Amino acid sequence: MIERDDHQLRKGFEALRREDAACTPPFGATVAAARARQATVPRHRALRLAAAAVVAVVAVVVVSISRERDGVRRQIDLATVRWHAPTDFLLKLPGDELLRSVPQLGSRGLDRRTL
Amino acid sequence: MAADLTAELEQLHAAAFGWALSCCGWDRTAAEDVLQASYLKLLDGRARFDGRSSFRTFVLGVIARTAREARRRSALRRWLPLASVVLGPEAEDGRPDPATALARADDTTRLVRALERLSARQRQVLHLVFYEDLTIAEAAAVAGISVGTARTHYERGKAALRKLLEKEQE
Repeated sequence: MIERDDHQLRKGFEALRREDAACTPPFGATVAAARARQATVPRHRALRLAAAAVVAVVAVVVVSISRERDGVRRQIDLATVRWHAPTDFLLKLPGDELLRSVPQLGSRGLDRRTL
Repeated sequence: MAADLTAELEQLHAAAFGWALSCCGWDRTAAEDVLQASYLKLLDGRARFDGRSSFRTFVLGVIARTAREARRRSALRRWLPLASVVLGPEAEDGRPDPATALARADDTTRLVRALERLSARQRQVLHLVFYEDLTIAEAAAVAGISVGTARTHYERGKAALRKLLEKEQE
C-alpha cells in the first residue's frame, strides 16, 4: 500500500518536474540577467549605504540630546533628595574634630592640651 | 575553471529552477530572482564548493539559503518602515503572481496546492527526495537539518500529503 502510494507520489512529482522543465528560463538568459543585476548593484549599494549613514547620524544625535536632557534632570533630583538619618548623632564622636585636622607641633593650643 | 563551473551549472539549471520555485512557493518571479542571486554568488566565488558534498547538493543548498535571505529581507521590509530605504525596492510580495503563474495540468495543480499546505520543512524534504531524486541524507544537508529530523519530516510529510491529495480528489 505504502509502496504503491510512494509510486503515485513519485509519478506526481515527475509530472511537476516535466511541467517546470517546459517553462524553465534559458540558462544563458538567467546568467545574463544576473550579471546585469550585478552591474546596477554598486550604485544602489552606495545610495543605500548613504541613506543608512544619514539614519545612523540622526539616531546618534537624537540619543545624545535625550541623554543630555536626562543628565540635567538627574542632577536636580539628586540635589533635592539629600536625606539625614535621625540617628546620625550617634556616629559623632567626642573630640572628632581632632581626627579631621592635623595637629601642629609647637603650637600653643596643643601645648595646653597635652601638658 | 569558470567555464567548467558554468557548464556544471547549466547541467543543473532545470533542477535548480524547480527547487527555486519550491523555495519561493511557486512564485515564478521570486524564483527567478533567487536563482539569479544564487548564480551570482556561485560565479563570483562568494559561495565556494569545498567538495564535502556532491556539487548538486551544494548548489541546491546555496539556492535554499538565498531564498531564506530573500524571505527575511521581505519580512524586514514589511515590519520596518525604513528598511526599504536601506535594502532597496522589493522585487516580490512572496505570493504567486497570477500573471506569472505556471500553466499546470489538474493533477499537478492539486499536488502543488497540497504541497503548499504542508509545513515548509516537510515540503522541502519531499521535494528534494521525490523531485530532485536526492537521498534523505542529501536532503538533510541541503535543508541544513539532521538526518533524523529530515527522516521525520519525510514520513510525516508523506502521510500528510497523501491525506491532502485524497481530500482534493473527493
